[in-house]
Amino acid sequence: MSDRNAIVVDDVYFTYPDGREVLKGISCAIAHGERVALVGPNGAGKSTFMSHLNGVLMPSQGRVIIDGVEITKDNLTQIRRKVGIVFQDPDDQLFCPTVFDDVAFGPLNLGLSRDEIHLRVRDALEMVGLLGFEGRPSFHLSFGERKRLALATVLSYQPEILVFDEPSTNMDPLSRRRMIEWLKSSDKTIILCTHDLDIALEVCYRCIVLTDGQIVADGPASDILYDRKLLEANRLELPLALQTHELLHGMLNIANMDEEHRTIIQDFLHAHLHIHGPDQHQHVHLHAHEHEHDHLHEEILQDTHVHDLKHDKPPSGHTDVPVPHSHEKDKEKDKESGLGGRLKIRHKLFGGGGGHSHDGGFHTH
Amino acid sequence: MHIADGILSAPVLAAGFGGTAILAAVTLRKMGHEEIPKVSVMSAVFFVVNLIHIPIGPTSIHFIMNGLVGVILGKRAFSAIMLGVILQAFLFGFGGVTVIGVNCVMLGGGALIAYFIWQLRHRFPLGDRVEMIFGALAGAAGIFVSGVILALALFLTGEEFLATAEYALAAHVPALIIEAIVVGACASFLKKTKPDLLSGQVQKGILKTS
Amino acid sequence: MSLEIDRFSHVESSIQRWDPRIKILSLGFFIFVAALLKTIPVAVVSLLIAIIIIKITNIPFHFVANSIKWVIIFLAPFFLILPFSYPGEAAFHFIGLPFAWEGFRLAIVIFTKALAIVLATDAIFGSSRFDISMIAMQRLKCPRVIVQMVLFTYRYIFVFIDEVKRMEKAMRSKGFVMKANMNTLRTMGNFVGTLLIRSFERTERVYSAMLSKGYQGDLHTLVTFEAQGKDFVKAGLIILLTIAVLVTDMIRIFHPATQGWY
Repeated sequence: MSDRNAIVVDDVYFTYPDGREVLKGISCAIAHGERVALVGPNGAGKSTFMSHLNGVLMPSQGRVIIDGVEITKDNLTQIRRKVGIVFQDPDDQLFCPTVFDDVAFGPLNLGLSRDEIHLRVRDALEMVGLLGFEGRPSFHLSFGERKRLALATVLSYQPEILVFDEPSTNMDPLSRRRMIEWLKSSDKTIILCTHDLDIALEVCYRCIVLTDGQIVADGPASDILYDRKLLEANRLELPLALQTHELLHGMLNIANMDEEHRTIIQDFLHAHLHIHGPDQHQHVHLHAHEHEHDHLHEEILQDTHVHDLKHDKPPSGHTDVPVPHSHEKDKEKDKESGLGGRLKIRHKLFGGGGGHSHDGGFHTH
Repeated sequence: MHIADGILSAPVLAAGFGGTAILAAVTLRKMGHEEIPKVSVMSAVFFVVNLIHIPIGPTSIHFIMNGLVGVILGKRAFSAIMLGVILQAFLFGFGGVTVIGVNCVMLGGGALIAYFIWQLRHRFPLGDRVEMIFGALAGAAGIFVSGVILALALFLTGEEFLATAEYALAAHVPALIIEAIVVGACASFLKKTKPDLLSGQVQKGILKTS
Repeated sequence: MSLEIDRFSHVESSIQRWDPRIKILSLGFFIFVAALLKTIPVAVVSLLIAIIIIKITNIPFHFVANSIKWVIIFLAPFFLILPFSYPGEAAFHFIGLPFAWEGFRLAIVIFTKALAIVLATDAIFGSSRFDISMIAMQRLKCPRVIVQMVLFTYRYIFVFIDEVKRMEKAMRSKGFVMKANMNTLRTMGNFVGTLLIRSFERTERVYSAMLSKGYQGDLHTLVTFEAQGKDFVKAGLIILLTIAVLVTDMIRIFHPATQGWY
């Protein structure tokens, strides 16, 4: 790892030609190997910010520095080799006649040799599990496949920094899960622009909240994504997984609950906590339920051909590892929101032993 | 309306290709590479809109919308229409390979004239309705010019096509009315929802900054 | 609507194996000669040649039927107009209208030639992947910019057809029925406007995606062509046949359907 930051954004302002001021003084630094979630409501300026990271848009004021080099009109080619952007709608990114052409587009523009291009296309398609699709027209693929193909078209020119715009939108659960596992297994610097806070919670160590063209919060994902007040003030909500969590904590406050149920809930909360967050496999607590979840993951892993996830570690020298959640603090919060009052129904749902699929059955409100 | 293969004489076909080459060369001049995907995508819209049919009595006619392409793309409209015509000929024999030149001059020429008429709107203080009125005029002009060029191509091929040319002109009248209304409505809709599209900004584009 | 002209490009045949550059040149020559024929028997021969070529490609009939449909739609009016408007003496009167055999013959020649041309076009573009045909055109000195734009347009046609279908479904579900009245036409205006806005926004995103991948105005490709002896033999065969057809037509063994010059 170099001591330089991968990305430094220094007091960036941006105004569109039609007069809309979208970025109003953004500053942040992102280290090599960091996985950062950029969250914010619609119109906050996420996409505009993203377009600044590889010089598709140039700041009206301020600087963007990639790996120690400030983006200028003269070094765009060099910058774009380093920063790969994966767009939300794969159809925007797949503009060539065939899968091969789309994946080869970037390497061809780099002027690589024929053999090298074939090798890179192969590698990229293998990484996203689309090997053998080379000759097919891109528009014949399913949405999930196109989304993965869009990723392959970026991977093929081997950027050091990957920026994703809504990586999980419109994806079916299995494709979404594959995408998450892929993101978690990657050792590149990753920035996720997303509304899907669950994916942010699972993949990222750090979270930046952007509202109205300004950064309103920047810190460990474990702090920001658990902070209901902050999220709601910015037109976001707690990740679904944590809403479940909060509800269950609410139940623990019910006075007339018998011990057996209380234990089940506590066990579940323990296991539940551990399967969220990027450091899930590093917890020292071993729990009956955790084995089951590990099993679940193994199945998914085999499916996605990502084998090294087990050894997934946060980048060395990084300190933003989420701390286990404080139960006491939650109890306080839940008393305020009065969630305990709905115990009867929840209790029944839970009583079915459905705790193994971690947020099943709790989406009904 | 398109003309099909096998009707026109060699000199007319050749004139079509020659005219297309000249108009393409002139209208593609100084085109930056940022315009390539834009013109292509707009051309795909033109192509797809051509597939929409409006029922009239027992038959139906399809949209042409070359006037609208002129309104939006200005002089680049010619190349957008050329791409559409080429694909129509290659993909499903709509028009034909040998008449690509004539069809380009016919439809693309209509688009260019429509654009000139559309640009006159600044001189008339018509208030809110200016887009609708000039959109309608541009839409009508696109079809009218195409009809005249088609009739001319038929007439120049041989006097036995004189009557056909007259019928062809007459057949353009319902298309002309329909396109005038639709392009007028479309222009006033765009004025309300996305005025940039009508102000010639498409060629410059937001991404000019890069 | 089968817009995927190259759906049968993977089928095995000697046309599919033909070097696309030489195929385009030879069949292109045939097409332009066919467009200029003037006599019915020769036009019929050219149609037979086109049918044989399409047979060799193993492209099923229902696939080319779509192109034939357009020829019929475009040219049916000629059968109604030409016989009754041909200058000169009428053979007989049909419901009071003068009917001239010359006009009818002309309509037949036009129709036959158009069929031959559309079948030959399908043989060219139906027997290679469309992008490869386009790259072949580029190698044949078609302007790079145009080839590049045709390929992009081709790609996005499919995206917009899906978009139109979605929008149409949404309109239908709100009770919209297409009729020739003001309301329909105004709605269609808004419909087209919406499509334009969406596609315009898409052009911005596509362009930025292209820039992100290092696009600088050129479309590079790894496709290479290599012509072999067999390719030239096929070309020679087609060109000889075409010249024979042209000569037979010009020496006026048969009565030409039109007196106009070539």
